[in-house]
Amino acid sequence: MLQIKELKAGIEGNQILKGINLEVKAGEIHAIMGPNGSGKSTLSAVIAGKEEYEVEGGAISFDGENLLELDPEERAHNGIFLSFQYPVEIPGISVSNFIKTSITEKRKAQGLEPLPTKNLLKMMREKMELLSIKKGYLSRNMNEGFSGGEKKRNEIFQMAMLEPKLAILDETDSGLDIDALRIVANGVNKLRTGDNATIVITHYQRLLDYIVPDFVHVLHNGRIIKSGGKELALELEEKGYDWITKEADKKWA
Amino acid sequence: MGLIKNIKSYSEGIQISAEKREILTSFLSNGFPTTKDEEWKYTSLKKVIANEYSIENKGTIIDSSVIEKYSLGLKNKIIFSDGRLINSPSIKGVNINGFSEFESANTDSILQLNKALSKNGFTISVDKNTALENPIEILFFSTTVNGFSQYRNQISIGENSEVKFIERLQNLNNSASFVNHFTQINCAENTKVEYNKIQNNTAESQLIDTVNVYQEQDSTCNINTLIFGGSFIRNNLNFEQNGSNCESNMNGVSILNNNQLADNHTFVDHKSAHCRSNEMYKGVYLDNSKGVFNGKIMVRPDAQKIDAFQSNNNLLLSDTSSIDSKPQLEIYADDVKCSHGCTIGQLDDDALFYMRSRGIGIEEAKAVLTYAFASEAIENISVEQVKSLAKKLLAKKLNVDLDFSL
Repeated sequence: MLQIKELKAGIEGNQILKGINLEVKAGEIHAIMGPNGSGKSTLSAVIAGKEEYEVEGGAISFDGENLLELDPEERAHNGIFLSFQYPVEIPGISVSNFIKTSITEKRKAQGLEPLPTKNLLKMMREKMELLSIKKGYLSRNMNEGFSGGEKKRNEIFQMAMLEPKLAILDETDSGLDIDALRIVANGVNKLRTGDNATIVITHYQRLLDYIVPDFVHVLHNGRIIKSGGKELALELEEKGYDWITKEADKKWA
Repeated sequence: MGLIKNIKSYSEGIQISAEKREILTSFLSNGFPTTKDEEWKYTSLKKVIANEYSIENKGTIIDSSVIEKYSLGLKNKIIFSDGRLINSPSIKGVNINGFSEFESANTDSILQLNKALSKNGFTISVDKNTALENPIEILFFSTTVNGFSQYRNQISIGENSEVKFIERLQNLNNSASFVNHFTQINCAENTKVEYNKIQNNTAESQLIDTVNVYQEQDSTCNINTLIFGGSFIRNNLNFEQNGSNCESNMNGVSILNNNQLADNHTFVDHKSAHCRSNEMYKGVYLDNSKGVFNGKIMVRPDAQKIDAFQSNNNLLLSDTSSIDSKPQLEIYADDVKCSHGCTIGQLDDDALFYMRSRGIGIEEAKAVLTYAFASEAIENISVEQVKSLAKKLLAKKLNVDLDFSL
């Protein structure tokens, strides 16, 4: 589904990603862990198509198509979804209006008619239930005055509505208390099918107790320095990052 | 040649009263305001008045499909065609007539000209204790090529009455028409008035629109101005509060492109204590368009406990668009709450990326953010049909197929 080869990218002349290789297949969950500043959020921004980031080398293909040639909205139409670490507040647009617009635009790109409002609202209600979202939420302005947890839940709600093929959850656990974490993780698990895939970016092992990854990758200084199964996350929790980063620093010095 | 000469030669051939002749003479000696005039510092009439205009209305008959096209489909319609009143609804408690003479404060030369030569317009008087459920829609059509038209309208609302209006001036050809529009609204005690102006005329249309509102105690008057079309628009909204517990509200949304200019001048004269005023103007400027906002708030010495708020927020969406914004507060009472705020900005790149990552194309994302920016003022409009028209026109102006509803 997603293939990243020797990806080098940066911002304002600073190279942050120094050769990333990653392959994600349908049905898989990958966790990307790593210390602050290792390039985790840059990787997600580059996959989603944030224009400030310059790709200096390498390739990303998604379902066989060259992703780097597509606009962010085209990537979304093709099934990529980024759950933002810091979701943006958009005063003046209700959650329902925002989601309706994004679903309508996605359908338009696929040559489909807009979903009738009735069906859309029904779908919204179902997904709200899945994520234990209270009534009245749909008419609130997009992320405006939302708590950290509400913002994150709103991201997963949008993901549930847009049904992406590949979801990238960028630090979705930050700002969530344990109950919210469980609800969000539960939502992600329920949305999982054999056809979609998830990349979970996180600092902590905690989220991975709920969303169990098939693969864990450690990102450090712009490179994946170690990959393993879910037990790697537990090992990192126990030993920290030092034991592998030191080795890597020696290698790339 | 130009408009002044057109007016001169037109006025030489007509009969008017000595009083009007005197006012006209005064106008002709003063001429139109120039940018040396403080009130017209940022808005030049030079090009507007350099054109040749036809002052006698030489219109053709309009058919009902035209009316349908521009009407909001409301039951109560007052329709003018080239100055002639061609339709007037009969509403219980409301008297609707054509043009009538009335006194007005002729504070500038534009109003002098209006007073001297207007012969078209409406006169509406609403009885006391009359609350109209349905708004009154007022449509002014013009078929005259390069027409210069003047309308002079008066509305008197009787005590305890409540009325809503929607007004639209529509040119039916693409020529450079110019309208000098004046409306005086007298709000008696405990009245509620909402006046909605849809300014979406053809690309070359030009307009100076002045509204003088006189409010008695416990009255509320809201004026909403939606500017989408027309090459030159100058609005003057003047409120005079002559009793306690008055409220004056103004909402404005301007979405301009190409070489459009829209100038909103507002003046609230707080003459009595315990009154409120609230202004919210949102401007969006594309291409080479230009906006002007001048909001004057005067609080007279005895007008204590005034609560006046003014905001003017602007989005400049191109490198060559501009806005001149000027709050003007003159406060002579010491126990008042007056504040104003002005912002000028661009669309937030992070918000644009956020929306694009959700599959919303860049033009649509810009439109949604622009709508979000303007929606606060649009939501203050109480007539649903006006609100939904505003949303439609906004989408059309920004070239997107979105409906902003749900």
